[in-house]
Amino acid sequence: MDIVPQLIANSLIAGSIYAILTLGFNLTYSTAKFIDIGFGVETAIGGYSVFYLCKTLGLPLYFGIFLGLFCSGLVSFLAYRFIYKPLRARKASGTVLLIASLGVLTALQALVAILFTSQFQTLSGLIQANRVFELLGGTFTAVQLSIFCTVLILSVLLAFLLKGTLFGKAITAISDDEEVAKIVGINTERVMGEVFFISGMIGGLAGILIGFDTGIEPIMGLSWLLAAVVAAIVGGIGNLYGGLVGAYLLAFAENFGIWKISGEWKMAIAFGLLIIFLVWRPRGLFPR
Amino acid sequence: MTSTILQTKHLFKHFDGVKAVDHLSVSFEKGKITSIIGPNGSGKSTLINLLTGLVPLDAGEVIIAHSLHFTRVKSHEVAGFGLTRTFQDVRLFEQLSVLDNILVVLTERGVFASLFETHGTLHLAQAEEVLKKMGLWEKRHSLAINLSYGQRKLLEIARVLAMTRSARTGRAADIIFFDEPFAGLFPEMRKVVVSVMKELRAEGRTQILVEHNMELIRELSDEVVVLDAGELLAQGVPNEVLAKREVIEAYLGE
Repeated sequence: MDIVPQLIANSLIAGSIYAILTLGFNLTYSTAKFIDIGFGVETAIGGYSVFYLCKTLGLPLYFGIFLGLFCSGLVSFLAYRFIYKPLRARKASGTVLLIASLGVLTALQALVAILFTSQFQTLSGLIQANRVFELLGGTFTAVQLSIFCTVLILSVLLAFLLKGTLFGKAITAISDDEEVAKIVGINTERVMGEVFFISGMIGGLAGILIGFDTGIEPIMGLSWLLAAVVAAIVGGIGNLYGGLVGAYLLAFAENFGIWKISGEWKMAIAFGLLIIFLVWRPRGLFPR
Repeated sequence: MTSTILQTKHLFKHFDGVKAVDHLSVSFEKGKITSIIGPNGSGKSTLINLLTGLVPLDAGEVIIAHSLHFTRVKSHEVAGFGLTRTFQDVRLFEQLSVLDNILVVLTERGVFASLFETHGTLHLAQAEEVLKKMGLWEKRHSLAINLSYGQRKLLEIARVLAMTRSARTGRAADIIFFDEPFAGLFPEMRKVVVSVMKELRAEGRTQILVEHNMELIRELSDEVVVLDAGELLAQGVPNEVLAKREVIEAYLGE
């Protein structure tokens, strides 16, 4: 049996998850200009919110997903409001913010583990049947198909938000020159709080989808975040659409890389790609 | 009849032990164009940066309209006090179009409101007015990053004009700092800027200008403030101040 179609399918699925995460990561990076490691934990917040609301409390699935997205957005907003915002007001460097966000990730994933134990959980029981499709020799499930569709919808929505709305123009202005944006009277702090809320929702969305596809655990955040950071750097950090290319490139490199070598090397392939880019093309494929 | 609108008291700022602004007490009159002159490094730009909150003060006080006293100026608040400025090294929103550079100043909505509202016709009309005045209306769809140097300077002034038309921040801008607005402009572009400044004066707005070109200073200024080594050397009407011996010595060197 030819393995190539399945490798392509796997790459597209993994790439789609990376793409969602990279969109969320780049959104805060391009406005707040620091690497927000805490973004990773929103996957666990979103996933476990749905787990708790739908599996434990038995709420309807769509309602649970809606609340799960809201929770992850809110957690991200609160992290900005009470941790990143005061630090930025004191002109803390990007390194200080990065370490603070690492603290956010560590503290929140510990909290999730205390509440839900650190056992691996899955959301797949919440949907009746996960249909399996076959296309040109590769198989994928309905959940995986919806992950792929989510990327398309999310990209269009974000493009509309950024290019088509007044809010998006304020975001672009802040990402171009935050100091001037303040001086011309843009409420940079409110806009940034909303950006963190949206990016938290995107992280939560990825976590929920991961929960349906494979499963969730409290410490899932860091490895997904690292993939998103690699994809963002490959695509050109802060560039939303470059990040999409980076995400799929990373997924194809990983999945085709383990064609001939053992699967444990997946992470090594990702970081090999990162090193190649940092050495030869540090500003990524599409620099901002 | 004159009245002070902006005042500093014992303003002090040093950078690594070098005094950039040294216990400076100076006041600016409402509705006038005041030029700040002085040799390079005399503290002109630092003064503007302090007054607009770009650089924190070390000591001293800023008083706006006799009633607002500050020992810390925050850049996100200055627009609310009616202050705005241009920059010596032009600073625009590079990834936005010329039109959006103006609209983003005139309007700003939260994420939910912005999904349901677009720019009001009022805002578009205001943007059209200021861009036409600066001769940039034809360029409205280009990204700011693609403009020529002179056009960039004009767009920055258009943004200031937009702020004088908009009370979105609570108060339309009525104190404007121009940091070398004429530098590198072609003569015809200079004329546009001169006429804009004269119009703003006719509207009763206060303008504070940092400039090197003596001819323009004489033409535009109602008052001249001379700084030297971060201290006030002289202040008064241009002809008197520019004729003073110590000013000529400080400004022209030996």
